[in-house]
Amino acid sequence: MSEIQDPNASQQLGLADASGLSNQRSQKPPDPVPTMHRGLPYILDDLGTETSRKQLQTARSVLKYVNDSRVPTLDKTTHIDFLIEPLEDGLSRGFTGLDASRPWLLYWCINALALLGVDVGGYNERVVSSLKPLQHKDGGFGGGNGQAPHMASAYAAILTLVVTSYYESRDLPKDRWMGVYARSFGWIDRQKLLDWIRKTKLRNGGFKVNEGGEEDVRASYCALVILALLGYDEDELRGDVSRDEKPLLDGLLDYFKRCQTWEGGIGAKQHSEAHGGYAFCVLSALCLLGEPQDVLTKYLDLDQFISWLSARQYAPEGGFSGRTNKLVDGCYSTWVGGCWSLVEAAANGIESSGTGFDIDSNVGSLWNRKALARYILACCQDPHGGLRDKPGMRPDYYHSNYVLLGLSAAQNYYYYDNAMSLPSSIENSPFKHGFCWKSSRNVPKPSTSEGIGGGWEEGLVSNERSRVGTQHPLFNIPLHAVAEIQEWWGVAKGAEIL
Amino acid sequence: MASYSSEEEEEEELDYTNDPVWADVTPLPQDDGHNPLAQIAYSPEYTIAMSYLRAIMAANDHSPRVLNLTSDIIGMNAAHYTVWGYRFKTLMSLDRSQTLEDEKIGWSWRQELEWVQSIAKRYEKNYQIWHHRQLIIDHLDDPTGERAVTGEMFALDSKNYHVWTYRQWLVQRFQLFDEEELAATASLLEEDVRNNSAWNHRYFIVLGRLGEAGPEEGVVERESELAKEAISKAPQNPSAWNYLKAVLRKGGIELATLKPFCESFAPILSPDEIKSSHALDILSEIYDEAGDSVKAEKALELLASKFDPVRKNYWRYRRRLLGSKPTPASDTPTIQATA
Repeated sequence: MSEIQDPNASQQLGLADASGLSNQRSQKPPDPVPTMHRGLPYILDDLGTETSRKQLQTARSVLKYVNDSRVPTLDKTTHIDFLIEPLEDGLSRGFTGLDASRPWLLYWCINALALLGVDVGGYNERVVSSLKPLQHKDGGFGGGNGQAPHMASAYAAILTLVVTSYYESRDLPKDRWMGVYARSFGWIDRQKLLDWIRKTKLRNGGFKVNEGGEEDVRASYCALVILALLGYDEDELRGDVSRDEKPLLDGLLDYFKRCQTWEGGIGAKQHSEAHGGYAFCVLSALCLLGEPQDVLTKYLDLDQFISWLSARQYAPEGGFSGRTNKLVDGCYSTWVGGCWSLVEAAANGIESSGTGFDIDSNVGSLWNRKALARYILACCQDPHGGLRDKPGMRPDYYHSNYVLLGLSAAQNYYYYDNAMSLPSSIENSPFKHGFCWKSSRNVPKPSTSEGIGGGWEEGLVSNERSRVGTQHPLFNIPLHAVAEIQEWWGVAKGAEIL
Repeated sequence: MASYSSEEEEEEELDYTNDPVWADVTPLPQDDGHNPLAQIAYSPEYTIAMSYLRAIMAANDHSPRVLNLTSDIIGMNAAHYTVWGYRFKTLMSLDRSQTLEDEKIGWSWRQELEWVQSIAKRYEKNYQIWHHRQLIIDHLDDPTGERAVTGEMFALDSKNYHVWTYRQWLVQRFQLFDEEELAATASLLEEDVRNNSAWNHRYFIVLGRLGEAGPEEGVVERESELAKEAISKAPQNPSAWNYLKAVLRKGGIELATLKPFCESFAPILSPDEIKSSHALDILSEIYDEAGDSVKAEKALELLASKFDPVRKNYWRYRRRLLGSKPTPASDTPTIQATA
């Protein structure tokens, strides 16, 4: 905890200081600005409409930031201050509109701090005591004390617990490690939570966000993440026939399939407009249920999806938009940027199996990592701390988390390893494919037609101080926290703690 | 995802502690747990109203006063899904006992809908408001005036995702796949031909709703003409190109039929005359299918170097895939699109 409360935290963490920029300059001259960031796109239609006027206005305003050879360093110190303040000091009444999203506030701030290199283990005890009053007597979690259970609240609550319990326990001997996990998860009524999730299941295969609430793929994704991270196994999901229960995941894959639109993207539900946020939900959900190359080709037209996804990246901005003909927004760095690892894993799998030999072929990055990093560092940092949608917008906790997560996607190679050895406790998990993800700082360039490696992409992190932590591409929490929570459920089930 | 509450409230003040209507209720305080993180410093008004709500919910009370209490809270936090849900249950309970439209209560479904719309205009990004409206209209089984209500919202933001979701539900629930709906999308596209939400809705009402079934005669021709006209007005508009492709796909018409149309916007031998990167994109596919890898590569090279350079890696990937798709057998009869 000391490093969090200490006002000099940044120095202990070896973070950026005021002299950062000059250091960078003295090392080597910055790379020239790529042409695409130096002016408006080559083609601009004559016809002006509301959409094109807003787009032009945004592109012009962003140009001032991206057309600069000195890409700013990530100012971790001020962002950390921005994120610690709400946790420690609380929020003003202006945040009453988030009173039904209390677990979200915890997740956004704490995960963003973890991305910035802060040891958030010291928060675990207070996370537990903050979340306990949110558990509903009939199962599940509400957005606040006494509130009805909601899928997104449960999702954010579980993510937060997995993050802070990992940090608190990671350097401890086994018995104390177990103590931390028992304290962090032992109070959750898993059976009632499962019973509650069953009440949100829809006949069309999907889920709704709560009883009497709306249906969308967000609800399905959140449900799967909760089930995967709380270690539910096949038997539990199959249900109890004597209680007239049906297998919980029945019809879900085909439900996702129906959400792909005429544009190639994915919408909130069938017929809804293709949207980056919902696309991420479906892609991650599919990859929790199978190998990327199988599920993303069986339940999607992958070529069309990739075409749509690729069209989300704009120049001169470098960032992503969430829908066709909408503006870039820093939060899509995660929703769109996060899809790329999954798509590339599928493309690599397809190409490798197509060679007919045992060759690991690699298609390389299908998107522009450097352009996204430039957008994030130049446009999404508020000078007073916190990250934001775009210049001119105020920073907030939601954007802080998802902009940084997107930066992690740009800086790291996240890949699916089908040869990964899994503990026996996971072998029976319906979500075992979700636990086969790894990360590397080396991002491969495309391999040649003979399957020979093409080397690594260079200069993705222009300044080491801008580097953020590695995250799990499906769960959006620190990568290693996911393996640890799985280990805990193996231990807990073996010891019949449950 | 969530909207912040506005601090300027113009709701009438409810005095829970002194008003005899609430005298029988013992407010329940909030339990935030020991030493909680990210606590919110509520206004006294919000704290009191919520403590009365908790007591009311614990007693499963659905009396008329719940309407005042819930609207009070929603005025301070429109994203409070629990409160919306409880309000709807209360409305239904009053409706069942036929007391909702009672004079004493002074409330009606119509008034509820008007109130909901006033909240919707204040909080444009909100899931609960439109779901609440959907529940009510579903119950009333009457869509009268509802298209106009969404129209008002489109005047504020013609791409509001929540409002479009509601509009789609409305059209499906009441089978409003009619001329009025078609005209509504046409009018939005007239205003802004780049409104992708309007294109999406048009696809839904014309083709998407058909599922596996094929479109009626003439529909594919009409819709591809619409897209082509839109493209002529603004050749760099991705929505219209995507729509054109999707219509052809649904109609079982080969992409190759678009070759002359695309070439008119993207003559690859005269790069200075290229007016649309989307035409180049489609042409690379058409050339590839025809086995003309040289031209296909040229189109992709132009995209990567000049017309869409931020997607350079994607265009490179597309080059990698050239020739990997089975070319259509030349003896397969193809349906010709009316160009």
